[in-house]
Amino acid sequence: MKKLLAGAAIAAISTPFAAAADCGEVSITEMNWGSAQIVTATAAFIMEQGYGCDVAVIPSDTVPAIASVAENNEPDVVTELWLNSTSDVYRRLEDEGRIVRLGAVLDPGGVEGWWIPRYLAEEHPELTTVEGVIANPALVGGRFNNCPEGWGCRVVNDNLIRALDLTSGGLEVFSHGSGETLATSMAAAFERREPWFGYYWAPTGLLGRYDMVKVRIGPIDEAVHANNGNPQVDNPGVSDFPPAPVLTSVTADFRGREPAVADMLSKMTFEVDVMNGLLAWMEQNNATAEEATVHFVTTMPGVWSDWLDDDARARLSALIR
Amino acid sequence: MTPYTGLFDSLGLRAWCDSGAEQRTTPLSMNELIARARGETETPDVSLWDTPFPSLDALNRACPAMPQSRDLTRGLERGFLDVKDTLAIVLDPLTQPLSWMLRTALSGVDAAPWWLMIGLLLLLTWGVARSGRVVALVALSLGGLAFIDHYDYAMQTLAIIFVCAFICVLLGVPLGIAMARSDRLRRAMIPVLDMLQTLPPFVYLIPLIFLFSVTEPKLYGIAIILYAIVPVVRLTDLGIRLVEPEVVEAADAFGMTDRQKLWGVQVPLALPNIMAGVNQTIMMSLAMVVIASLVSAPGLGVLVLRGIRNLELGVGLVAGLGIVVLAILLDRVTKVALQRVNAARKE
Repeated sequence: MKKLLAGAAIAAISTPFAAAADCGEVSITEMNWGSAQIVTATAAFIMEQGYGCDVAVIPSDTVPAIASVAENNEPDVVTELWLNSTSDVYRRLEDEGRIVRLGAVLDPGGVEGWWIPRYLAEEHPELTTVEGVIANPALVGGRFNNCPEGWGCRVVNDNLIRALDLTSGGLEVFSHGSGETLATSMAAAFERREPWFGYYWAPTGLLGRYDMVKVRIGPIDEAVHANNGNPQVDNPGVSDFPPAPVLTSVTADFRGREPAVADMLSKMTFEVDVMNGLLAWMEQNNATAEEATVHFVTTMPGVWSDWLDDDARARLSALIR
Repeated sequence: MTPYTGLFDSLGLRAWCDSGAEQRTTPLSMNELIARARGETETPDVSLWDTPFPSLDALNRACPAMPQSRDLTRGLERGFLDVKDTLAIVLDPLTQPLSWMLRTALSGVDAAPWWLMIGLLLLLTWGVARSGRVVALVALSLGGLAFIDHYDYAMQTLAIIFVCAFICVLLGVPLGIAMARSDRLRRAMIPVLDMLQTLPPFVYLIPLIFLFSVTEPKLYGIAIILYAIVPVVRLTDLGIRLVEPEVVEAADAFGMTDRQKLWGVQVPLALPNIMAGVNQTIMMSLAMVVIASLVSAPGLGVLVLRGIRNLELGVGLVAGLGIVVLAILLDRVTKVALQRVNAARKE
């Protein structure tokens, strides 16, 4: 009974601790993939423990999150937002001044591209360029694994396929119904050590787990790539995927309400290599995204302590050391 | 000091526990991190109030040699990957006719000109329903869908539904009959049927991709059939069990064999229930259309997904309502057919 009371006392002491800092309720999105879960969990941890916010994590996805901001001005923080996957709605919101981009959450950005497994590239080095793939469709399994309908990359891929005349050598384009089947087809090919050729992106748990080699499509030309982003353009061009901007954005209201937190979020940046390392660690240890976050917070305090202001750094000093 | 350390000590298992210590390092949990952030380095003795359930993870914290829950999921995964080749050898040829039927049906509706297709469907409607009003409804709805350029998508969806519902009836009716005749089979099947209706399809669809190629139509065929077969099995079973015992006794008295009794008495009398089951099966296959499109099924489901993903609300709504129109059509046609069966029985 005494212990029970002691527990209650600790709870009573720690509750005002959270309220001590001047921060109210914050809602933040959690996208449904590994790296975004780590980003969100890290941000939530820092906001709760460093800034005393009352954080509500909202499981979401890119388009629904933006739609929600457009309609309800909620959630306050949208992070790991892949700009290329948002529709025009995002730009409209920015033009109206309702959403503000704070900064890139991944540095230099998301890596998109067409990939083949490492074992295939070692066996047939000619397959690391798209010309080699077009000339030898049988070696990559005769199939290009394309994005599902409705994804931003689907439009770009469809234009690239036309510009490159990808199917001229007999390669078949298979459009997946969902990201899940796209991922599983890659995993299944790896388990059988079979050829695979298709679109994927990093940092993802899958590319952390499976060793893939990027197929060279051509030089990067921002203008051509931007043009390829429009459905059914008349003049599709050949350009590799430039690093994709991946942002943390907040509503304008939130930035006015919590400038200190917004300042921290604007500095929150993960290098892609760090993120890939975390995802690989997660896979090796069969860990959850939350545990990977804890791993990041405990092993790399030098990275995240730079994001904080002095008050928050003092509150989290036990971890920084 | 974790809550269950004492338990292992008192059982004399400490040496065994520590033998596992170097093998694994448990990742720190978020709660432990928060405690550390607040400077609570020493974990205080846990009160009875806060004692965790003796789960694998909690026991593992006290005794590193205990497996963790994540070892269970990983073991399951490894086990599946080990047996998948054997499974594929058995399941692949067994399910191949489904792929073949779906491909044939899809290329069939694709190749046939619209006037032939709609004409055939109207004839089929007249054949089952014998009602001018229902034929008019079908003509109007299909015409409407075609008018807004949804003809191809609607036909693909219909083709998939027809193939899957046909296989559901083909497998479900005999299964229902067998369940009606054997209480033991019934007891075994009911939990399986419950599971089929509640297990999220992706849980078994993703492992199936490891067995078959993603391009195989049977992937979505299996998803639809496993979900939609349940009502026809249940209602066939129920229908046969509801046949009045006096009637069966009378059949016995006439010296009918089991087979004569089944096909001459029980199945005809159970037909209204079986037809209701078929109606429900068709409705449930339609409910799976969007899920099927997640595993690359063509048809209206693709448009629904595009609408959701791109925020093209109109596209999603029109395609969704298109599915509803198809559902109403199929429902009315099968219901009128059911009424005909009932009317024929009463005469």
